[in-house]
Amino acid sequence: MRRSALACISISLAALCARAGDVPPDASRVAALELEARLAKKPFVYLVLDPQRRVLEVKARGAVLDTVQLKGIEVISQQPLLTRRAPNRPPIPAVWTLSVGPGDTDREVIAPTELRPAPKEGEEEVEPTPAAAPSGPMPTPTQVHVPPPSYRSRLANGWDLWITDRLPPQSALGTFTAAVRDGWQRLRGLGEDHPPAVTLAMADEDARRVHHLMRTGTAILVASEL
Amino acid sequence: MPAEPEILTPPPEPPQRHRWPQVMGLVVVAVGLVCGGSAAVLARLGRPLVTTPFNATASVGTTEAESGNLRKRAVRAEKELDKLHPKGVYIVVDAYRNRLHLVENGKVIRSAVCSTGTGIVLRDPRNGKQWIFDTPLGERVVERKVKHPVWAKPDWAFVEEGLLPPTDPNERFDDASLGDYALYIGDGFIIHGTLFKSLLGRRVTHGCIRLGDEDLEFLYRHAPIGTRVYLY
Repeated sequence: MRRSALACISISLAALCARAGDVPPDASRVAALELEARLAKKPFVYLVLDPQRRVLEVKARGAVLDTVQLKGIEVISQQPLLTRRAPNRPPIPAVWTLSVGPGDTDREVIAPTELRPAPKEGEEEVEPTPAAAPSGPMPTPTQVHVPPPSYRSRLANGWDLWITDRLPPQSALGTFTAAVRDGWQRLRGLGEDHPPAVTLAMADEDARRVHHLMRTGTAILVASEL
Repeated sequence: MPAEPEILTPPPEPPQRHRWPQVMGLVVVAVGLVCGGSAAVLARLGRPLVTTPFNATASVGTTEAESGNLRKRAVRAEKELDKLHPKGVYIVVDAYRNRLHLVENGKVIRSAVCSTGTGIVLRDPRNGKQWIFDTPLGERVVERKVKHPVWAKPDWAFVEEGLLPPTDPNERFDDASLGDYALYIGDGFIIHGTLFKSLLGRRVTHGCIRLGDEDLEFLYRHAPIGTRVYLY
């Protein structure tokens, strides 16, 4: 009798312990997994930004194709001096979509001025009449297009995504100098207002590497500890 | 006897005090005040960029965490992701570094230097039509494989040379440019060989992926039709 009572107690204790260890999965992690599963159904490359691990992953079909280590993630906004009111960042986990990206706009365009008939097989191509020597300075030869290490993309949620190899100076003197410079620009009517930006600081080579992925429609899943 | 007149020596002049240091000091102070004031006004007018740390905390409500179906949802999402994950043999193309990897069961079995699209835009002077020489991004499939491929040159290949595209289709065929093998990955994009080996590793193509002869042959033999290609 005593033995069976002890056995009962130990079983219920074990059951309690098992239930205590049976922690339900984190709601944000589940939401992030579901968002990724939805993205992975499409045959596109997507990016996953993990602010906690400070990594930006290039993925397709759930597989990591490449990883970029970030030096920092900051929210950058234009604010009057001595104000530190951070704008409310978009909720996460979420999928951000690029509405305009430099991968679409920073392109070299070539266009011949006119087309001549293709020479027939065995036919000697007639040497085109040389154009008159230009009177102005000689054009420099076309350089291989190297993507910049710092650029902004517009997100569909109204924010910007700023990829840069260098965050703006945040010392008191640096901020003051920037404020004076911006004030001078505004006085001359040249001041620009930018939407707040989530800024990913990374090595310049990495910034150039992901430049071509920043195209219209590129999806970025923002989730911590996926 | 008259007294000898006393010769009066003029008293020594007090040392002349120069005013210019005081004036200069005043000028410096005045300029400083004007500059400082202007800077303060400009700084007040300006809106410098201010950084604040990105709050990485997820904002999903805790009430949802209490719901019992969270575990089921997690398992379902993980299963879906696992089902979609590339398996067996697949190809990965890094269009920035110009590298192609052939992967089998998660292990890279061949890495090769390739050439990918320039990203340049070509405009037709006759009608303004544009072609963008990008290597596509995302997932594609090897649709067919051809030995000794012949290239039917599209319009852009002529326009780029400043030539009018021929009306006779026979004038479009080129049996030399694609090398010994071609793997077609859809929409006219091909993994093929090249006559310009020295340009491998650079972004010089019109969107196709060029490989050296040995790497191309290896790929042709080891990547069957239906092989997935992931380009980024």
